[in-house]
Amino acid sequence: MEPVIISMVSLCRHYEMGDQIVKALDNINMEFRRNDYAAIMGPSGSGKSTLMNIIGCLDTPTSGIYELNGTNVAEMDDDELARVRNREIGFVFQTFNLLPRMNCLRNVELPLIYAGVAPEERHERAEQALLSVGLGDRIQHKPSELSGGQIQRVAIARALVNKPSIILADEPTGNLDTATSHDIMEMFGKLSNEGNTIILITHEEDIARFTHRIIRLRDGRIESDERQ
Amino acid sequence: MHQNLILQIHCDMSNHRTIQTKEVFLQALSSLAVNRLRSWLTIMGVAVGVFSIIAVMTALDAIDKSVESGLTSLGANTFQIQKYPATVFGGGHSRNRYANREDITYKQGVFFRKIMESKARNIGFIITSPANQAKYGNRSTNPDVTMTGGDENFAPANGYIIRSGRNLSSSDIQYAQNIAVLGGELAEKLFPAGENPLNKAIRVNGQVYKVAGVFEKKGAAFGQSQDNLLVIPITRYLDHINEKSSISITVEAFSQDEYRKTIDQATGAMRQTRGLTIKETNDFEIRTNDSLIDSFRDIQRIISTGAFIISFMALLTAGVGIMNIMLVSVTERTKEIGIRKSIGAPRKSIRNQFLLEALILSLMGGFIGIIAGIGAGNIIALNLNLPLIFPLLWITVSIMVCSIIGMAFGMFPAWKAAGLDPVEALRPK
Repeated sequence: MEPVIISMVSLCRHYEMGDQIVKALDNINMEFRRNDYAAIMGPSGSGKSTLMNIIGCLDTPTSGIYELNGTNVAEMDDDELARVRNREIGFVFQTFNLLPRMNCLRNVELPLIYAGVAPEERHERAEQALLSVGLGDRIQHKPSELSGGQIQRVAIARALVNKPSIILADEPTGNLDTATSHDIMEMFGKLSNEGNTIILITHEEDIARFTHRIIRLRDGRIESDERQ
Repeated sequence: MHQNLILQIHCDMSNHRTIQTKEVFLQALSSLAVNRLRSWLTIMGVAVGVFSIIAVMTALDAIDKSVESGLTSLGANTFQIQKYPATVFGGGHSRNRYANREDITYKQGVFFRKIMESKARNIGFIITSPANQAKYGNRSTNPDVTMTGGDENFAPANGYIIRSGRNLSSSDIQYAQNIAVLGGELAEKLFPAGENPLNKAIRVNGQVYKVAGVFEKKGAAFGQSQDNLLVIPITRYLDHINEKSSISITVEAFSQDEYRKTIDQATGAMRQTRGLTIKETNDFEIRTNDSLIDSFRDIQRIISTGAFIISFMALLTAGVGIMNIMLVSVTERTKEIGIRKSIGAPRKSIRNQFLLEALILSLMGGFIGIIAGIGAGNIIALNLNLPLIFPLLWITVSIMVCSIIGMAFGMFPAWKAAGLDPVEALRPK
C-alpha cells in the first residue's frame, strides 16, 4: 500500500449567510494515498469547489482535521499555508490562470521564485517542465499567443515544476473542446503513471472515466467513493 | 512532522531572501511598465513637488554663495544712516510706517556731522536715483545708470578708488559744482576705444556735467553692476534735481575696534539731530554690511519656508495620487494576486511588490524633480552670474521625503493586497 498523503476526519466547512448557516462540507471522512488518481464529481452547490479549496490549502475547515503529509493544516497561519501551497500542491484551473504579461517560461518559474530557487536552476527546471508537457518550443511565447490546450499545458507545467505531493485540477477541461480535453486527460494519465498524485474536479462523466477513483458529492456529503 | 516542515521552510526563506528581493523588484518594474501613462502621471505629481523645493533651494544656495562678497557693498568699518531699512517686509502698512518718517535733510546731515566730526574718520552724504540715461555727443546709454549725489567722502566710504582724474572735493560740494565722477563701466560706455573722458561734458536728464574723474571697476553684486554710476555733488543734486530727497549718511569709524562704539555714538548724535525724546524710538535705520546680510537671510528664510510648505503640500497631494493609483492597481490585479497566492506567494512578498511599486513611483518622481530642479535653479544662478550649485543636503532630504511618501501612501494598498483571501481573489468576476 502507498502511504497516506491526505487524511480528512469529520471535516466541516460552514458559511454564515446572514443568520443562516450553509454547510458547504458536512462531516467528510476521506483519505488519499500517494499516486491516487481521483475525480471529485457532483452537481453545482455540492461542495466540490469548497473541498478543492481546502485540499489546496486556499481555505481552512471550520471544524475537523485535515492532515497533509501528517501535518494538521487547520492549525497553520496564512504564510505557512502559502508555503505548503508552494511546495506540496500544484494547481490547474479551469480558466488556466496564467499571468498574461509573462511568457510561458516566466509563468512556470513563478512557483520556484517563491520557493527561492536560484535563477539558473529555475530556468532549467521550468524548461524541463515545459518540455515534459510537450511545449519545449514555446517557452518564450506569451499565453495570448497559444491555443487553449497549449495554455492548459503551461498551467500543468507550472503545477509540476515544484514537484508537489499533489496536483489539484479544478475543471481542467471545462474551457476546452473534446479532442483537446482528451489530450489533456491523457497528459494527466501519463503524469499519474509517472507516480504523481492527481485529484481533479469535473462534472463530465467521460472525463471522470479517465481516472482510477470517482468520489461523488451531494449537499456537502460524500455520496459514493468508488475505485475503477 | 509539522515542526520539521516549518523549520525547513524558515531555513529556505532566509537563504533565498536576496533572490526574492531582486525578483520582486523586477516584477514591480514590469507591472508599472504595463500602465505606462498612468505611472508617468503619478510620477510627475511627485516630480513637481520635489522640483519646486530643489529649484528654489538651488537658486538660494547659489545666491547665498555670493552674498558675503556681494552684499559687502559698503567700505571697511563703514555704516549708513538712512530713512528706510535695507529691505522692507510686508505690505503697504509696514511700508507706510517708514514713509511717514521725517526725511533726513541735508541740513540735519550737516548738524549731525558737526556732532560726530571728531569721533569718526569720515562722514558723507548720499542721495541715490536709479535708472537715468547718460549722453555724450551722439552716444547714449540705456536708462539704467545710477546717479548718486555725494560728497568727497562717498568714494572711500563705499570702497571706490579713483583711476584717473580726481574725486569730488569739499569745494565742489560747497559751490554745488556741475561736475561728475564716473563709474568704470559708464565711462567705457560713453567713451569707448580709449577716449579720454576727463573734462568732457556729459548730459544726464537734461543737466550738463563735466567729468572730473573715473573710478576703478568694483565688479558686480547679484549680477548687478556697481560701476554703472556717476557721482555728482550732493548740493548740486538737491539744488537742481530734487530738493526734497531724504539723504543717507555714511560714517566710517576709525578702526574695526571702534566700529560698535561709533555706531552707538552716531545713533545718539542722530537722535539729537532729529530731536527725539528718551521715550521715542529711533526714526531712522542704521545699515551695516551685516544688517544687509541679515536682511538677505530673512528673505532667504521666508522664501525657503514658503517653498518648503508649497512642496510639502504638493508632495502630500502626490502621495494621495500614489495611494489612489495603487488602490486601483490592487483592484485591477485581484486575480493576479489570487494566482500568486495560490502558487505560494507569502503575504510579505505580495505586500513588498506593491510597496515597491509605490516606492519606485515616488522615487522616480523625486529623481526627475531633483534633476529638473537643479537645472532650473542653476539657470537662475547663471543669469545672476553666480557659480553652479549642487545642493547635496536638499537632494538627500528630497530622496528621504520621497521614500517616506512612497512607503506611507503605498502601505495601505499593499497591506490590502497582501490580505486578500485567495479563494475570493480567484473567483471569476
